[in-house]
Amino acid sequence: MNWRIATGALLAMAASTQDGFAADPRYPDWPCAQAKVPEISVAAVWAGPSLDDVQDKWKDDARISALVAKLAARRTPVTDAEKDIKEFLAGSSAKVASGKVLFSGLFDTLNAQRSSVMMGLERVTRKQREAAEKIRSDSIDLQGLQSASPPDQIKIDQLSNQLLWETRIFEDRRSVVKYVCEVPTEIDQRLFALGRTIQQEIE
Amino acid sequence: MWRDRLLSGLVAWLAAAAPTQAYDAYVSNEKSNTVTVIDTEKWGVTDTIKVGQRPRGIEFTRDGRFVMVAVGDDDRIEMIDTATRKVVDTLPSGPDPELFVQDAAGKILYVANENDNTVTVIDLGRRVRLGDIQVGVEPEGMTMSPDGKILINTSETTNMAHFIDTSTRQIVANVLVDARPRFAKFKSDGSELWVSSEIGGTVSVIDPAKHAVTGKIEFNISGLRREAIQPVGIDITKDGKTGFVALGPANRIAIIDAATHTVTKYLLVGQRVWHMAFTPDEKYLLTTNGVSNDVSVIDVAAQKVIKTIQVGELPWGIAMSPR
Repeated sequence: MNWRIATGALLAMAASTQDGFAADPRYPDWPCAQAKVPEISVAAVWAGPSLDDVQDKWKDDARISALVAKLAARRTPVTDAEKDIKEFLAGSSAKVASGKVLFSGLFDTLNAQRSSVMMGLERVTRKQREAAEKIRSDSIDLQGLQSASPPDQIKIDQLSNQLLWETRIFEDRRSVVKYVCEVPTEIDQRLFALGRTIQQEIE
Repeated sequence: MWRDRLLSGLVAWLAAAAPTQAYDAYVSNEKSNTVTVIDTEKWGVTDTIKVGQRPRGIEFTRDGRFVMVAVGDDDRIEMIDTATRKVVDTLPSGPDPELFVQDAAGKILYVANENDNTVTVIDLGRRVRLGDIQVGVEPEGMTMSPDGKILINTSETTNMAHFIDTSTRQIVANVLVDARPRFAKFKSDGSELWVSSEIGGTVSVIDPAKHAVTGKIEFNISGLRREAIQPVGIDITKDGKTGFVALGPANRIAIIDAATHTVTKYLLVGQRVWHMAFTPDEKYLLTTNGVSNDVSVIDVAAQKVIKTIQVGELPWGIAMSPR
């Protein structure tokens, strides 16, 4: 009896999850409440001198590419990263040129980081959709087993247990997704803050 | 007799010797449910005040004793005592208040309630609700003409600026502007009304006497798609010569020649720049930047950002102490 109520609830949950996807029809797999902005444009974060002449130069400069990796890492607090930028540019003989190269490296790296997080989120959405489908069909099977006479208690227990795990994984993933949805915005914030520091230093 | 003269001399001397005037800016943080207080002399945060849920519209009472803040998810307006910096009272509004405006005397408050298509009228002295005015769908921007006779309310869905006669509380004119009008501002001489359209990407210049759009301010930032330019907050210097428009996710403030209605400069400030306030001497303009969670300080004469101050999460509105 208890299990019948539980499977009913599971069915309802699986159904509601499917309806919950895709607020923006252009991105059916996007699971976040935050709007999906596929790419950051340079102009949204940079009002300094043109970067056309420095494209990819950061990759050829070992010192700058090491600095880019450090500043782009989420474990580096933004305030520390800003300090590093100031120190680096203060010690540079060609401030403007170095600032441009550094920013171009940060822009490429953080934009790529952002895209991979967003792709991961969409991959999880597709997995969740499959998981919801599995939970739905297992619940229907369980209902069938329960209404058979005589009921096969061993099979019922097995399937109940399986459903419990499937549900737990589904729920865990859902809470992780909610947390990861914040990451693209955090990357935007980092890129903007670091870009602003560079611009102030080379002005 | 000469003692009086000495005294008045002393007062004048003291006034002259006083350091540069410091003001308090109060910033509403929509997501962290707090109000941040910034000291404009030190350019630092001096206090963080806990308020109700989803604080947005924020204003000082005319006497400077209270700061009113609309807490939309709690369906009311809270009053912060500026001496103790605590919420001491509430005002009744309709559901989901967002922005409000007071009359010139500071006696009547008009509140736009986003969810029920009304403007609530509140007696500030007695702190009671006097009535409601039916307006367009999803009322949003609110402003008062300098002579106090006309209240402007913009409607997000019908794309109109409604002109409301404050003596009869009736709508006397509707002016169509571009999509999703967000904010409205009069020039201090009442000669022009500017209305920003978030989706339309323009600011309409309206002749308030003729109730007609006479010009449009357009924005163009190379490398940015049109839809990334979303005008919201507006302010205009008292001399009516220079306008400032916040461009949302374009992360910039546009500086406008208010005679020709053209952009003279764009300043990169912070992410999703929303509203702004001048210091009373108009030396500085402070902007709230919702996504970067900070406030930018612009030197108005130099047209430069001189400082960035971290505040709470999702800063939305800003109010400056009158003295």
